[in-house]
Parts: sequence; structure tokens; C-alpha cells
Amino acid sequence: MTDERLRVAAVGYLNARPLYEGLDREPASARIRLDCALPSEVARRVAEDEADLGLMPVAAAAAIGDLRMVRGCAIAARGRVRSVVIVGDRPLEQMDEIAVDLSSRTSVILARLVMRERLRKRSAPRLVGMTPREAIAHVGERRGALVIGDPALEIEGRFGYVLDLGLAWWEMAGLPFVFAAWCGRPGAVAASDEQILERAKAAGLERRGAIAAEHAERTGLPVGSLKSYLETAIHHDLGDAERRGLERFFQMAASEGLLPRARVRFYDEDRRTAPARESIDRLLVRASQGERLSAAEGERLGEEASLFDLGLAADAIRKRKHPKGVVTYIVDRNVNYTNVCTTSCRFCAFYRPLGHPEAYVLSREELAKKLQEVVDAGGVQILLQGGLHPELRIEWYEDLFRWMKREFRLGLHALSPEEILHLARLEGITVRSVLERLHAAGLDSVPGGGAEILVDRVRRKIAKAKCTSDEWLGVMRVAHHMGLRSSATMMYGTVDTARDRIEHLLKIRDLQDETGGFTAFFCWDFQHERGTNIEPGDHGTLLYLRQQAIARILLDNVDHVGASWVTQGPEIGQVALRFGADDFGSVMFEENVVSSAGTTFCMNADGMESRIRAAGFKATRRNVHYEWLTPPA
Amino acid sequence: MLDAIRSKVDRGERLSAEDGRTLFEHPDVVAVGQLANTVRERLHGDRTYFNRNMRIEVTNVCVASCLFCSFAKLEEGAPGAHTMRVEEAWAELEKRMDDPPSEIHIVNGLHPGLPFSYYEELLTGFKRIKPDVHMKCFTAVEIHFFAQHYGMTHREVLERLRAAGLDSLPGGGAEIFHPDVRTRISHDKATADEYLEVHRVAHGLGIRTNSTMLYGHIETFEHRVDHLLRLRALQDETKGLQAFIPLAFHPDGNGMRNLPAPTAVDALRTVAVSRLLLDNVPHVKAYWVSMTPEVAQIALRFGADDVDGTIVHETIYRAAGSRSPSGLTVEQLVRLIREAGRVPVERDTLYNVVREWPRAALPEAAVKVKDRKASRHLEVVS
Repeated sequence: MTDERLRVAAVGYLNARPLYEGLDREPASARIRLDCALPSEVARRVAEDEADLGLMPVAAAAAIGDLRMVRGCAIAARGRVRSVVIVGDRPLEQMDEIAVDLSSRTSVILARLVMRERLRKRSAPRLVGMTPREAIAHVGERRGALVIGDPALEIEGRFGYVLDLGLAWWEMAGLPFVFAAWCGRPGAVAASDEQILERAKAAGLERRGAIAAEHAERTGLPVGSLKSYLETAIHHDLGDAERRGLERFFQMAASEGLLPRARVRFYDEDRRTAPARESIDRLLVRASQGERLSAAEGERLGEEASLFDLGLAADAIRKRKHPKGVVTYIVDRNVNYTNVCTTSCRFCAFYRPLGHPEAYVLSREELAKKLQEVVDAGGVQILLQGGLHPELRIEWYEDLFRWMKREFRLGLHALSPEEILHLARLEGITVRSVLERLHAAGLDSVPGGGAEILVDRVRRKIAKAKCTSDEWLGVMRVAHHMGLRSSATMMYGTVDTARDRIEHLLKIRDLQDETGGFTAFFCWDFQHERGTNIEPGDHGTLLYLRQQAIARILLDNVDHVGASWVTQGPEIGQVALRFGADDFGSVMFEENVVSSAGTTFCMNADGMESRIRAAGFKATRRNVHYEWLTPPA
Repeated sequence: MLDAIRSKVDRGERLSAEDGRTLFEHPDVVAVGQLANTVRERLHGDRTYFNRNMRIEVTNVCVASCLFCSFAKLEEGAPGAHTMRVEEAWAELEKRMDDPPSEIHIVNGLHPGLPFSYYEELLTGFKRIKPDVHMKCFTAVEIHFFAQHYGMTHREVLERLRAAGLDSLPGGGAEIFHPDVRTRISHDKATADEYLEVHRVAHGLGIRTNSTMLYGHIETFEHRVDHLLRLRALQDETKGLQAFIPLAFHPDGNGMRNLPAPTAVDALRTVAVSRLLLDNVPHVKAYWVSMTPEVAQIALRFGADDVDGTIVHETIYRAAGSRSPSGLTVEQLVRLIREAGRVPVERDTLYNVVREWPRAALPEAAVKVKDRKASRHLEVVS
């Protein structure tokens, strides 16, 4: 029998426990299936419909968009909160840098808003991503740390300067601050479910002393301090004042472009009146003006906006970001150094197993010939990718990269995250070590291939052996932190849904908020052909144009969007330039992976430039950093 | 700049030549397309037409020497020159009688050595095989050539051919009407006035016609607007044009091979402006052979309401380097239309509805066609 209970996910932190204590026991457990997870994981489950209701950070709720909240329950503070603090040896005004776990988005946004308020016109300290322990260790001369949760309670009294962000918000807004609340899709929760949650909270509040004692035992923190934290610093109501505080927070964050515009809406309100819906026109006007849209708003665009609505809005955004009307392209070459691969993705017609008669690894002679052709054609870069070869060790790559850098003056845009993870596993070293060694050997930037759809339900179906979404994003995070730039991609049109595609875009947007390391985004649909073992899903040229436009609209923090003419053909590629793209990709030397699926188009630099001009733009060549190499013409 | 035109379009007012130039020159092709789309949807909603047709070119021998043509051979006996015997032409239809076309579309070179009876016999024979097949044959340029060559008036030519089985005229041979262009690219065939006169006479006889424009070579936007307005003026007079078909110039193997082919953006723009200027012509075609099936699909949102037909077996564009397939199946056309979020309507040549497919359950935004390959892999029907 299928479990039809309400799937509830909650952050497993101390301050959340009073809200969900008892939900995993009778009688609540007859209706509720409770799971505890990290905040980002709770949000992911709600976003990907793996949970009906999540006790989640409010920034994540705003990013998903159009969620409802359970009235009366929250993790909030009226004034001093103790567990979200900026610490340092000197006051905020004298800090250049603040170390922070950037994935704690609600607190990071709160910190940004507080800093903006306190520092006014002075430049705010740079936020640098680190783990909580690293962040604390990082504190020093002109360096502070934003510390959240248990570590914040542990270091109470250790630093000379402490800025409590709950208190700072109270002083700034005169309202409570809500950190987290029960959120879910409209209609997911019945009135009777809300009563269960209220009863759980009532019982949980009674048990705060016991919860503090248990936590003290586990962590070694003083029980009295924990008890007063739970009973005085944190409070668990979500009433009118909290709602106003939350709406103020949402509004301020939206006006800074940090969050999509969000409202607070309770489940009980939906039961009384239908929610007001903004028109698609209004939504697109806001997006065109640079506002950030939520996942729910992105989905509405996919469902309701016409091709023209999307095209004109995406074009307007392209124009805001690139007002000179210039479309770039790059002269580079995609070299697939091996077709040997161990993953056997169902959509790939390119790979061969080791020992197969058609399996190859390019020799230095073959590579030299290809690279020389690129140099002769005025090319600036090699895009080097291959399968996951089980016998090529990291030294092979290091030697290859050094040789290439010595012999040819070409940028090296090489190895997608999947290949980097493969090397890390093969060598038993960290992703960071792999990237550091390759970077030292000549790696300049990381291509964004293999992202497919960054939703694990989809990845498991189409590429079971491949990395998870978090692993893919994790490699990019490390690369970006090292200063290596990368592109981001999306391959849709297999088993993915419109919601999956939006979720994919938001995962890229979230990481980009953290690192700023993505240069550009490209998407294409799955190229179905013989030799692949998967049915095509949503696709077609109109969908491509819509998808690219939606990406331009949602990825407000990614500078460039490229038109994938290699997969869509030069004609549609050109039309796509009017649907939000400001880059036309690469001239074509070869592209083994896509061409083995039957898509073979060719275009040289003249063909690229004349199409760019005929679409109404100036054309220029670029390098991997999107710097112009020729005067636009 | 578009605002003034938009308000005219909203009020259903006729656009001027200057509006036409503004539209062609406007950098934002999407905004122009959106305007054309409102007109298209006002006229046809989501309905998008196609038919089961079959193209036959019975001879490529042609006395004219048009610069843009990769198809014609100047004389019989030249390499690649070919003229079908009437029996060979009929056999093309006989081969397909298990799934017969509703229309036969015949366009030829201007052959100097065939008797007029060849064409009459050709038509009669097709009607003998399939009495209800619609014969859409011979461009106005051919009709004019017949009149000169066989010493008849346009009217006499058309009447004799109609008696033999002719039902309507295709729109080819229009090229660009303006003499500055026409004298340079096709100086030795029907002039613009002669072309238009043949259509006028045909319309007077109750013979419906289509018309075309070959764009993207040496003409200017001004010439295109002039071309469209000449057609609009004829249509005001006769009401006999059914559909307008913009044809993209393809440069391979012809006298203008040094020119680049017009791009997809130009194709969409031309469809859109045609829809906006030709306010009295019911249909604008996205001829997939000329623009590729992918671009034709987008054109269905830029003003076009018709994708022509299954075609099988086009040779003129193929000779000029088109990489479109030479034919599509009905199923492929239906998919192409539905993927664009439109409602496929199979029509006969005169736009009588043969079958209307149900509206796809999903809006444009979310069309799913699960059982097909990507449209660029549309298989060639041979």
C-alpha cells in the first residue's frame, strides 16, 4: 500500500525542534511522515515535489515562489537572536571581508541588508564563502565572520565585536524577523493538518527545557544558555507582526535584487478567498526591469506567456545587460580526446567501452594536427572533453596540458565536472586537488557540460552512473572559488518536466549568487538518434526559443546567454539571437558528441558574422572571458 | 516607431509603403512578428493549413536565363536537360494511387520545342487517372510564354488549358516586379505587368491563383514593398489571389552564387511584413521547402497560416542547395504544426476543409509530441 501521509521535511536544528517535536509519534505520525534534513535539502524537496510541506528558510521559500505558510508557526526573533551574528575583532565599519557559509541564504541576505543600512554609502565588506569552522578561524585583522546556529552559541563571548543580526533587524525595521516557517504548495495542507502542527508546537514549547538539556548533553553547551535561547531569544509565533516583518524583509531583498518579489500568504487565507494573480504582462515588465523572478513565476511564464512575450522580454533583458548591440562568437575547437567512457548514459551515441574496435584515445600527432589547424584559423581556444576513461591517470592530463601550453598559444577550456570527479575518484584525491593540479598544468577554465538537468530524479533516469546535481554544482563551486570561470549548460527534452527545467535554472542562479563564477549559459534539447536508448520528451524549435528566453529572464545574475546553433541549426541559432542570446557560440571545426547523434551543421566565421549582422547586431570575436578580441562590426 | 503601425493594425487600417519600409528595417524582428501574428490570429485563429500535394517538373529545358535559377537547362540535349514523356509524368501519379495527392503542382521550364498539345494531353491524362485531382499548373510566366510561342491570347491559353483539366495557377515566376531588379535577374521572360495581367485574366475566368516573391538577392526593401503593393492592388481589383508565398533565394549553382543566402531572420521578417501589407490576401504560406521545416514552424507565429503540402518531390530548390527534405508525410506536417501550438487543418487547393485535427490538449507553451524525432530529422520521403 502506498504511504499517503503528508510528506513533511524540517530543518533539524535546535531552534526548530519545538515546532516538530512529537510529529514522528502517534497520533500525529498517522497523518504525517516526518524527515529532518539540512535547510537547503528541505527547500529542494519542496521545490522538486518530494515533500508536501517543509520547515524551511524564508529566502528559499521566496525563491521557489507562490508557496503558502502555516499561520502561527515560525522560527523568529524579536530583537536579539544570539545565533546569527557577525563577529570580529573590530567593528563592521573597519572590516574588508566577512567569511560566511554562503549557502545560508536567509542569513546572508539579512546580513547584506543590515550592512547596507549601517554602512550607507561606504563600501560593504566582501563576503567570502567558507565552512563555519573555517569562518571562525578566519577572523582577524579587518576580517570578520558571519556565524550561524550552534557555532554562534559556542563562540559567545569570544570576540570583541558582535553584531547580532536579529537585534540589528529589530532596530532597523522595528519588526520581528522570521528565519523559517512551514511552507508548501497551495492546497497541500488541510485545516486538520494545521491543527496537528499547532498541537505539536504547543507540546514542543512545553518541552523546551528538555530539548535544551538533550542538546546540551550532545554538544557540551551550557544548558541554561540553551534554555534561555529557546525560550527568550527565539520565539515560534507567526502572527501579524511577524508577517509584517517578513514582508518587509521580502520587499527589501527584492528591491536589492537579492530575492524574487514575494508575499506572505497563509493556507487558511486560500480557504477563504482565491489568491490574486499578477498578469503575465506585469510579470514580464518587472523581469525586464531587472527584478528577480521566483521558480513559480518562471513556471507561469512557461505555461502562460506567448513566444512573443518571452522573446521581447528576453531581448529587453539582453539589451539592458549588453546595450551596445554586440553579439560575440569564439573561434575555438571542440576536441574529444577519447570516446572511451564507463558511464553509458542512455542519451549518448558517442561513447564506446574500453577495448571496443571503435574506441580511441587521440595521439599527440593527431592532437597536434587539430591544434595547429585552430592556430592557423586564428582560433584562441581548445574545448577539450572526453569520456570517463578508466585508465588515463591525472599525470596523463598534466603532461598533455603542459605539452599543449608549451606548443600552442591556445586557451584550455577543459574537462567537464563529470571528468573532474572521475579523476578525483580514480586518484583518490579531492576535487580541489585535481583542479589545482590541472590548473597548474595549464587548465584555464571549465566547460559546463554534463549538467543535463540538475534534478536527481531526472539524472537517475537518463544517466544513472553520472554525478548527482550537488556533485556537479560542487565541482563548479570549487573551480569558481579557485578563480576558474566556467559556463553552465542545460540539456532538456528527455524525461524532464517544465518544473525540472526551472529548478535547474534556479540551482545555477543560486550557485552564481554564491560564486559569480559562471560566464554564460547555453541550453539545447536532447538530440535523439540511433544508438541512444531514451525517448525524446519535450522539444521542438519553438520550445528551444522559449526555453532560452526563460533562461535569460530567470538567470538575472549570469552575464551571457549563448544560442546553441550547433544543435538547433544555423537558422534557428540566428533567430535565437533575438530571444535573449548575446553570444553565438563557436565556429565549427568538429563536435563529435552531437554529430554522432546525427546533427551535423557547419558554419565558418563569415557565416557567423553575416548571420549576426542580419539579425541586427554587430559581431565580434571573444575569448573564454567574453572579452572582445576585434572591434565590433 | 512601431506604435503608429501597431495602432493602425489594431484598427484594421491599411498600411502604407512607408509603413512597409519601416517594418522591413525595424531591428526587432520579434516585435514585427508579433504584429503580424495578431493579424494572422484575427484571420485564422490557430488554424494552420496544409494539403496533400505532389510536385512534378516535367521539363527543365528553358529559354529564359534567370540569374537565380539552378534548375533550368537552356536546351534539350544539354547535360542534365530532361523532358518527361507525358506517360512518365502520369506514372508519378499512378505510383501514388494507394495514397493519392489531392493536388498536382506542375512548374516547368519554358520549353521551345514542345507542341501545345503536350500540355493539354498532360492535364487530360492526370484527370483520367484521378478525375477529382486538382491541377495547379503552370506559372503566369509559362502561360505568357505559351501565348507568345503558340500565338494565342492569355485568355485563349487559359481557356484551352482549363478545358483540358487545369484548375488553378501556382504563384511562381513573380520574382521581383520592380524593373530595376527584374531586368537584371530575369530579363527574358514575362515582365511584371505581363505576369500580373495573366493573373488578372485568370481571375476574370474564375481561375484562382497564388503569388510569390523571390527575395534575398539584389533587391532592396523598397523593391519588396513595391512588389507587395502591386499584388495588393491587383487583389483589390480581382480578389482572385488565395495565398502569397515568400520564396528565399538560394545561391548554389546559379548566376548569383556569390551572394549569401537570406537568413532565417530575414525569412521571418518577410513573412511578417507580407502578412501585414497584404491585408486583402487570405493566406500567407511558410513554404517549408524554401525556409526549412524548423524555420517554417516559427513562421507559423510570425504571420504564416499555411505550410504548403507534402510536396513530394521538389527539385528546383534542391538544385539550388536547399537542405530541406524533398517531401514530408502528412503525419510529419501535422506534428510540425502542432509543435507550434497550432491546429492542423488539411485543405484542398481552394481551401475547402478536408479534415481538421483536434486542438492539442496543451497550449503552445507546453506542446509535447512524445513519439517523434527532432524535427530536423524528418525523414525524406522518396
